[in-house]
Amino acid sequence: MVAVPNRGEAPRKVQSAQQRTGKSIWKRLLQQRVLILMVLPAMLITFIFHYIPLTGIVIAFKKYSVAKGIWGSDWVGLRWFEMFFKNPFSPRILKNTFLLGVYSFLWTFPAPIVLALLFNEIKHSWFKRLAQTISYLPHFISTIIIVGMLKVFASETGLFNEVVSWFGQMPIQFFAEPGWFRTLFIGSSLWQGIGWGTIIYLAALAGVSNELYEAATIDGATRWKKVWHITIPAIMPTVTLLFILSIGGIMGADVQKVLLMYSPLTYETADVLDTYIFREGIEGGQYSYTAAIGLLTSLISFFLLYLTNWISRKVSENSLW
Amino acid sequence: MRYKESILSRLFDVANYTFIVVMMIVMIYPLINVLSISLSTPSAIVAGKVGWLPKGFNLEGYKYLFEDGEIFRAYRNTILYAGVGTFITLALTSLAAYTLAIREFVLRKFATVYWAVTMFIGGGLIPTFLVIKNLGMMNTFWVMVIPGAIGAFTVFVFRTFFQELPVELRESAYMDGANDFVIWYKVTLPLSKALLATFALFTIVGHWNSWFNALLYLKDSDLHPLQMYLRRIVVEENLGSGYTDGEIQALLASNRMNPKNLQMAAVMVAMAPILFIYPFIQRYFVKGVMIGSIKG
Repeated sequence: MVAVPNRGEAPRKVQSAQQRTGKSIWKRLLQQRVLILMVLPAMLITFIFHYIPLTGIVIAFKKYSVAKGIWGSDWVGLRWFEMFFKNPFSPRILKNTFLLGVYSFLWTFPAPIVLALLFNEIKHSWFKRLAQTISYLPHFISTIIIVGMLKVFASETGLFNEVVSWFGQMPIQFFAEPGWFRTLFIGSSLWQGIGWGTIIYLAALAGVSNELYEAATIDGATRWKKVWHITIPAIMPTVTLLFILSIGGIMGADVQKVLLMYSPLTYETADVLDTYIFREGIEGGQYSYTAAIGLLTSLISFFLLYLTNWISRKVSENSLW
Repeated sequence: MRYKESILSRLFDVANYTFIVVMMIVMIYPLINVLSISLSTPSAIVAGKVGWLPKGFNLEGYKYLFEDGEIFRAYRNTILYAGVGTFITLALTSLAAYTLAIREFVLRKFATVYWAVTMFIGGGLIPTFLVIKNLGMMNTFWVMVIPGAIGAFTVFVFRTFFQELPVELRESAYMDGANDFVIWYKVTLPLSKALLATFALFTIVGHWNSWFNALLYLKDSDLHPLQMYLRRIVVEENLGSGYTDGEIQALLASNRMNPKNLQMAAVMVAMAPILFIYPFIQRYFVKGVMIGSIKG
């Protein structure tokens, strides 16, 4: 083999010397052609299905016509954005998106943290293992099945109305009432995700040395003090990172589940940006209009992510970047 | 050594254990209830009396499902998507991650940024839909296994894992005349079986539960995966296809079957494989999340 010098623990000096003396990038590319061939298929797929759609965003500023294609279509400026803001349904959609995102966040973000702290206080390890195993299970059930189960449980004679009747109430048409949509949506998300969400915190806690707890006990710390001064600080960096990421996701509540759960009867609370995009875009063929709304959504999400990250860096020194 | 615990501390333990037991019941009960409903008699279902145990015994839902047979086609499709899709994902991801783990790879920095970018910005639903449509991938097998094959996050997890393998292995293989492709196949992959198995499980479950891409890109119901079949029966409550409406009506009218018998039977059949293997594979998933969360 000839092409050895650049491999393995090749000293950095050699590399930079090569760069300075003009051992050109082309020569190195040629040398590493096998590696390039290996990375190429994955790059190609990413290019086609991530980067090309990225350029497709321009249709938000055009009047997309199938015949003329993306690049041949005429420019229309901000027309689609104006149309969205003039649409009488837009305030409702924005409000629904925001409320569903914020309420989901307020319930589903802290819940796994609390559960992980409670798991951590269990002393019998077999019981802890059993409880964890059972709590992870719903994570593996598909959205379709979750919604199917919800529909059966929410029916006139189902589980939920059984509970309602204990309190002497009349049966409720859960899926037909806008007032119940968010509760059903978030409640089922909580059921499905709470156990799985604990894993990452438990991983962080597994790294805490037992000696810390022992030393604290000897110093006379109460159980609560140990949680407050040892356990919670141990998971704080993880909490911060996940916090930033979930804030970025507030505008995009699980669209798949909303699509399965909502109906014209519950649009009043259930119709969100992503479902509106799906209905008008995919089903209605208004590609440019809905691409504009999609772009708007992405911009807001990215702004929220950026803002949260910025604040977090100032306040806690933890951040994504 | 043991310290005497305060009363408060013991009270907390009682409350905590009680809470955890309640949580376990809440997690398990709905699943047991689904099974019970699928096996109960229509009259018990209508009366809303089915709880932990089936009331009466009735296999009409399952019988209908298996005689109709469409669920088998949906099953076969899902198995094909999961099998081929997982193979493609693992192969391409590990190939890419292998190169990113090599410090002196020329494209290393570029490729890292290239994938990191996709974690933060994307074209969105409509532009992606148009690309796939324009490529003529609508209504093809490949639309279910190619577009989602590469995920930046998985690439980075694999890269981190490969970086921890000893560099000397690659060097000595190199001295023996192997090229990188051979090293990837004969050295790296065999050393990464645990990682590959874990992510294979993740990918298979992902395919098993996916339906949205099918909704977007597969008009032809012959290609539909299991979850799309479930969607029709359970979510849209549009029963039957092989049977004519008249036959279903007759079956329902004869009071031998309630629609819920059929729906919950379909749910059980779709969930069965995951429920059966869950206890055995659960710890691998946990390991997978751990590997993923300690990323470099």
